[in-house]
Amino acid sequence: MWTPLALAVVGLSLALAAWAGWRAVRDRPVILRQLLAGAVVEALIVVEVVVAAVLTANGSPPADVVTFWGYLVTALVVLPFAAAWAFAERTRWSSVVLVVAALTSGFLQYRLLQVFAG
Amino acid sequence: MSAVPGDTAHGPGRLIVAVYGVLALAATARSGVQIIRDLDQAPTAYLLSGVAAVVYLVATLALARGGVRWRPVAWAAIGTELVGVLSVGALSLTAPQLFADATVWSGFGQGYGYIPLVLSVVGLWWLARTRPREGVPDR
Repeated sequence: MWTPLALAVVGLSLALAAWAGWRAVRDRPVILRQLLAGAVVEALIVVEVVVAAVLTANGSPPADVVTFWGYLVTALVVLPFAAAWAFAERTRWSSVVLVVAALTSGFLQYRLLQVFAG
Repeated sequence: MSAVPGDTAHGPGRLIVAVYGVLALAATARSGVQIIRDLDQAPTAYLLSGVAAVVYLVATLALARGGVRWRPVAWAAIGTELVGVLSVGALSLTAPQLFADATVWSGFGQGYGYIPLVLSVVGLWWLARTRPREGVPDR
């Protein structure tokens, strides 16, 4: 259950990073469609929170609980921050920030996979 | 380029603030867990990581605020980082017995993809570049 969910977030995050990277190279800011894609990723991360909470309630929590929730909460806030900046900064640099945020999101999922298994 | 003299948060500055924010978050979370849970295992290393994390938080805040009031804070915080990553980086290689576990700055920031080293140089360069010109009224 956990692995396919996390891999889906990794894949979508990397795709979003590539999309934002392409727009950054062409000197374009973040657009609404990218924020909608980010919202899909964010929704999957919320699903992860629910899954992790249910697994914990059923007596099979992740291996390193403190680290796991630390990464999960971080994953939850990274993309909204980039989205807030996309509204404030209408230059290519909003795209560059989205690249960093999406890559961070993907990396956090990779760490979550490691921490989940222990 | 910047609307406000000494502004550090817009344009390319967004990227620098964002990367500082991620590093500050990562270092704070990790050293927080280490200090709360395993402090007796490597007190020097974990407390040093904690100090580094606080310096990154200050640097992130100062760069995000910018302007004449916050720029000296940013200079001090990022200067501390450069000195920290260079001195602790060198010590961790020449006198590894000083640290029982890796710190944020060990091996010149190796555990964090050398971002601590690169970012302090980039941060100082960015502060120099956005320095307000003389004769421009302060905010």
